[in-house]
Amino acid sequence: MSSNFHHPNLPFTSQIFPPSCPHLADFRSRNGSKSFRLLQDCLRVKPPGGRAAIRRDPNEVPRCSSCGDSARPRLYACVTCAAVSCHAPPSHSHAAAHAESMPTGHEIAVDVDRAELFCCACRDQVYDRDFDAAVVLAQTTASTLGGNAVSSSGVSPSQPSLPPENLRKRRRVDYQPWMPDLRERVLVGANSSPLDCVNSNLGSESELPWGLRGLNNLGNTCFMNSVLQALLHTPPLRNFFLSDRHNRYFCQRNVNGSNVSSNVNDGNGSKNSRICLACDLDAMFSAVFSGDRTPYSPAKFLFSWWQHAANLASYEQQDAHEFFISILEGIHEKVDKDRRKPYSQGNGDCCIAHRVFSGILRSDVMCMACGFTSTTYDPCVDISLDLEPNLGGSAKMAAARSNLPCNGEADCMNSSQNQRLSSLVGCLDQFTRPEKLGSDQKFFCQQCQVRQESLKQMSIRKLPLVSCFHIKRFEHSSVRKMSRKVDRYLQFPFSLDMAPYLSSSILRSRFGNRIFPFDGDELDGCNEMSSEFELFAVITHKGKLDAGHYVTYLRLSNQWYKCDDAWITQVNENIVRAAQGYMMFYVQKMLYYKASEKQSAS
Amino acid sequence: MRASINRPPTPEPEDDREHQPTFQESINIKLIESGEKERLKELLRERLIECGWKDEMKALCRAYVRKKGRNNVSVDDLVQVITPKGRASVPDSVKAELLQRIRSFLGSTAI
Repeated sequence: MSSNFHHPNLPFTSQIFPPSCPHLADFRSRNGSKSFRLLQDCLRVKPPGGRAAIRRDPNEVPRCSSCGDSARPRLYACVTCAAVSCHAPPSHSHAAAHAESMPTGHEIAVDVDRAELFCCACRDQVYDRDFDAAVVLAQTTASTLGGNAVSSSGVSPSQPSLPPENLRKRRRVDYQPWMPDLRERVLVGANSSPLDCVNSNLGSESELPWGLRGLNNLGNTCFMNSVLQALLHTPPLRNFFLSDRHNRYFCQRNVNGSNVSSNVNDGNGSKNSRICLACDLDAMFSAVFSGDRTPYSPAKFLFSWWQHAANLASYEQQDAHEFFISILEGIHEKVDKDRRKPYSQGNGDCCIAHRVFSGILRSDVMCMACGFTSTTYDPCVDISLDLEPNLGGSAKMAAARSNLPCNGEADCMNSSQNQRLSSLVGCLDQFTRPEKLGSDQKFFCQQCQVRQESLKQMSIRKLPLVSCFHIKRFEHSSVRKMSRKVDRYLQFPFSLDMAPYLSSSILRSRFGNRIFPFDGDELDGCNEMSSEFELFAVITHKGKLDAGHYVTYLRLSNQWYKCDDAWITQVNENIVRAAQGYMMFYVQKMLYYKASEKQSAS
Repeated sequence: MRASINRPPTPEPEDDREHQPTFQESINIKLIESGEKERLKELLRERLIECGWKDEMKALCRAYVRKKGRNNVSVDDLVQVITPKGRASVPDSVKAELLQRIRSFLGSTAI
């Protein structure tokens, strides 16, 4: 929406601008951008990652010039004359009184404890880009002062740390319309057999969406079937295979595999090099989307996977998440060896598995002594989330909350929180929350040159096309030397906005409310659009740690289906909401339509 | 923010003598000057985040903004509406911890 009003080349395209206040505009036109430069000398930042405040000298105790009060929560300094006034509506506002008593030009003031601008006439927060830039600069220089080894400093607006290379590349799999030309039409006609005749024989079953086919259990392989069902209906993955982008008959790997001499050179042994999980997946896509509805046995795939992951080859139950990771690795590995590309997982264009699933996590570790921040970026194909801590840890808090009187809609929200329902959003909040690293895991600070207590915070630098969330339901306690499964219910939304967990949002909240381009903001103007995700598959687990059953729920054309090995049934969405989610798959919204809209518009 | 701009006159010394700081005020100044207030604020912030109070307030603010429409809400409105609810829902354990900290600070500085 904001893109309508702003030039696309401006670095701020992804932000919504609050409407500018006329008083601030007046002030700026009278004083120019230099007006705030005087304020810069008064910006004070408490070292360990602290907030910015306004003090004329570091030890000043600001007090209201009208009533002399220094304990008021909101004290404002007039940016024109530096008079400090309190603002305590509705009882009184000396800040507003100050603006009125003076000739025009004394409306804009700055919050002395938060370094945020306020218009006393409008009685509301106002934002100025230059001022915010100055504050962010002051905060970051405070945390990197005297540091010569600022190799990976977190956010330094003056010298932005180099973003990972792949961020510069396209993040979307673009929609490319294709129509066969005459020659292709002949080829297609001559070399394919239409599926319609198969479909027409199906009768009553034909109402199921295309591609929905049960998978036979081959002996404790529900972990595999559940993941395969999710993969088979992952939109970008499905489109890739169905459009023949990986053809098992022409796969390089298979050709090499049959060539004995190349095997010897490969040094991998003939058995191993013949495996191509992508080829097996391609075969499965063909079988599943053939129109045949009788349950399919993914035996060939299972065998290939056994060869790929020899340590997991058995008829025992396996972890679906482990299997998922292993498959993606398998698909990636194949491409890696073939094209001799360097292993760079976050680099989304190496293989289809990573193009679809890989994102980049950002982790900031800030030294609590000097505020030095070290930032690292890690590619990931899924996000493993801890279940929120149980009632036990926060019982007193829950008790304190239940004393709240209940009235109005907002309080109903409270009461639902009182029950402490865990939710995926809650898990994500917890995942991106700053965490104090204990004294037992002190971090080596490059600036202090010793191990220091530190604060760690995770955020998402780059969202994947398909976000897979894995809920850590299997706990391993090294102390008690035992494992157990957590059966707690977890709420998960059908639509999910990932914007609050993006690095840009996390950094913004760290610096207060600023109009300033943070990590990732400037790289992609459509951040807001693409942070919306939609649930399309949920893998659930029933039972205990060592004996249980995996079932997948799929959403196809807005209808939910339960895939329980060979059996596929249509289900109500409430059943899905009530299920015990173990892995959730979300796909970016507006993925294809955006491109097609653009086309029709131009 | 410098003397070059019209700064209001510095209060006369006799004004100061008239204004005797209250007990509460002198404690406040002590807290600020020693830097303890900043540490207490940081502790409080942390506790309020940990117990979910901050998320709760955020949800309340969101609900209010949604109800009123995002262009019809000012910070003052929000502060006025949310403050009583916020005050009421600070967990007792957090209050107790802070009180204990302030008490021990006052004991150690002996005002």
